[in-house]
Amino acid sequence: MPQTNKVQTKEAQTENPSRDRILERIRAGLRTVVPEPAAMRSGQVIFEPIVNPLERFQQECVGNLMECALTADSAASARQLSKVLQSLPEGETFVQDDPALRRLIEQAAPARAIRWSSPSSSEGAPGEASQATVTLAEALIAQTGSILVTAACGGRGASVIAPCHIVYATVVQLVPDLATALSRVSQERKLDSNSFACVISGSSRTADIEKILVQGAHGPRRLVVILQTAT
Amino acid sequence: MSQTAAQRFLHDAAVKSADLMHREIIQRGMDSYDVAHLKGRARIKDWEAAREKCQAIKREAINHLDRYLLQFEEKVIARGGHVFWAANSEEACTYVKNLATRLGVRTVVKSKSMVTEEIQLSPVLEKAGIKVWETDLGEFIVQLREEPPYHIVTPAMHLNRGQIAKLFREKLDPAIDSDDPAYLMAAARRILRQAFFAAEMGISGANFLVADAGVIAISTNEGNGRLCTSIPRIHVVVTGIEKVIPRLEDLAVLWPVLATSGTGQGITTYGTLIGGPRRPGEVDGAEEFHVVLVDNGRSQLLADAEQREVLHCIRCGACLNICPVFRHVGGHTYGTTYPGPIGSVLTPHLNGIQEFKHLSYASSLCGACTSVCPVKIDLAHHLLQNRRNATEAGATKSSERLIFRAWRYAMLRPRMYALGGWLVRKVLRIIYGLGLAGSILDPMRVWNRYRSPVPLPSESFRARWRKDLAAN
Repeated sequence: MPQTNKVQTKEAQTENPSRDRILERIRAGLRTVVPEPAAMRSGQVIFEPIVNPLERFQQECVGNLMECALTADSAASARQLSKVLQSLPEGETFVQDDPALRRLIEQAAPARAIRWSSPSSSEGAPGEASQATVTLAEALIAQTGSILVTAACGGRGASVIAPCHIVYATVVQLVPDLATALSRVSQERKLDSNSFACVISGSSRTADIEKILVQGAHGPRRLVVILQTAT
Repeated sequence: MSQTAAQRFLHDAAVKSADLMHREIIQRGMDSYDVAHLKGRARIKDWEAAREKCQAIKREAINHLDRYLLQFEEKVIARGGHVFWAANSEEACTYVKNLATRLGVRTVVKSKSMVTEEIQLSPVLEKAGIKVWETDLGEFIVQLREEPPYHIVTPAMHLNRGQIAKLFREKLDPAIDSDDPAYLMAAARRILRQAFFAAEMGISGANFLVADAGVIAISTNEGNGRLCTSIPRIHVVVTGIEKVIPRLEDLAVLWPVLATSGTGQGITTYGTLIGGPRRPGEVDGAEEFHVVLVDNGRSQLLADAEQREVLHCIRCGACLNICPVFRHVGGHTYGTTYPGPIGSVLTPHLNGIQEFKHLSYASSLCGACTSVCPVKIDLAHHLLQNRRNATEAGATKSSERLIFRAWRYAMLRPRMYALGGWLVRKVLRIIYGLGLAGSILDPMRVWNRYRSPVPLPSESFRARWRKDLAAN
């Protein structure tokens, strides 16, 4: 689907009859002075500092019901990828169109159809038939065992539509904690260049029935991180 | 027969607290929450510091609400999104309905949003001929049962797997032959998948509105919130004005604290940030992005110096889970969108103190809610303040006022008080002696109806004090 220019013109702006009234009510309410309680004690450490990010990341992956495979180089990563793909049912694989992933797929040479991401075609996003998606990540977060993706990582659906999401990352992408990851997103203005970002911590799940954990709800049942230690 | 909300509450509370099956289901659910919650808290090095930090973040946001909302709005509009400010439910619902009609929407997929429950959006859309699918598993279940969510985080926690399997068999597929939760989830997934791909519009709530980044933040575990905001060509966010936070980095503490308090997880599976429609060069995403900011009585709370902090609430459900009253009477008994302690505090402000003043008494004032609140809202005292406000507004019964006047009169006259005490003990002794405890003649009927009477002391406290205690 070709992209249309979606920047709003003045005429297209939303009509907002109550906007000023609500803002006026807010400002009037805020004129009431509320006594401030004592300031926070200083020097408090909320989260345990991360000593060994890689070890912590691997631990958290186990807790988050996701798989993390450490690989030494790109050849090992390709082998790991084909092993994961072979374990999946028949069906196409959606892959983020990126030079690193092109090389990886070439090396892995999976015996299944590949659908490459593309902004200019309706075939460029994963569909219901996709059995797996392969993408990069913006960062990995040790504290919570999370991957950070943005729209640039194959789009919004790439990390949620297929039953298996495979992430190809390197250890240099590992950051110690959420605070570091989020402040980098701010500094690098990632949310100005992407309409979407997501911190993903494990496979999709629910405990809505009797609080019993079920892995694989509406999103992937499997989240696999292929984490390469050298480039 | 038209019952008042208070009469309905008393009736439903009596029925629910005697329902042993309900009690067992809730007990089991809350037990597993308690274990997970404590484990989750242990993962955070200094839980008290985390609560203080979250309180400080929300306080800063609410104390500068106009500024942060405008900052958020400016960013969203600059990216091609729309921001609509709704003073009340009607404005919000009309905006979404007109948008859906104008853009030819026939099917809507919804992810969990308590604000859409508050404004009763789904009935308005359905009246306009639009099919609405709740896609969170718990919400989907209560939608099939045509009842409101039981709990703000786990909407179907009042049902066991057998009841859910039966419901699915009746409403979805007669071939459903197992009550295994994984099997039932898979059945719901198959049906809702078709809805996700058929829907033209996805409606979500927002856990936070991040002012400096101009994005909404949604926390979900199932991934339904992700699908609602990725596949349909229109994405509408419906949320309250109080959800705003100043900075993206604030999520580094708010996300783990919300997850810990909500379910006991270290972090929710998907922390999604969305700032606008699909950008040129992006693979997918909605082409229209609308944020509906709902006031609906919230701005009035700002002027209440005592209770402004009620707007800090992040809707984690921790106060519901710990509340001994909620655990016995259950979520539906409250008859409000937001049940439990936070609902009892908030509802009189949103829906009127006259009709909902009884909720302030649905509490033992034990303070458990205050002790768990991750943003440190002093819920127990707000319940007390609501009691006072209702009394000052003259909303109490004249019989109640009369009794308290008599009590005050006696309290100020020790002899009179002693005489009264003596008289009550005498009368009660006769009534109990005749075996009339709990009967219509018993002044202590409200208590004694369901319990064996508390043994009457042989003498008054004053007499005992003079004899034994004062000597030391």
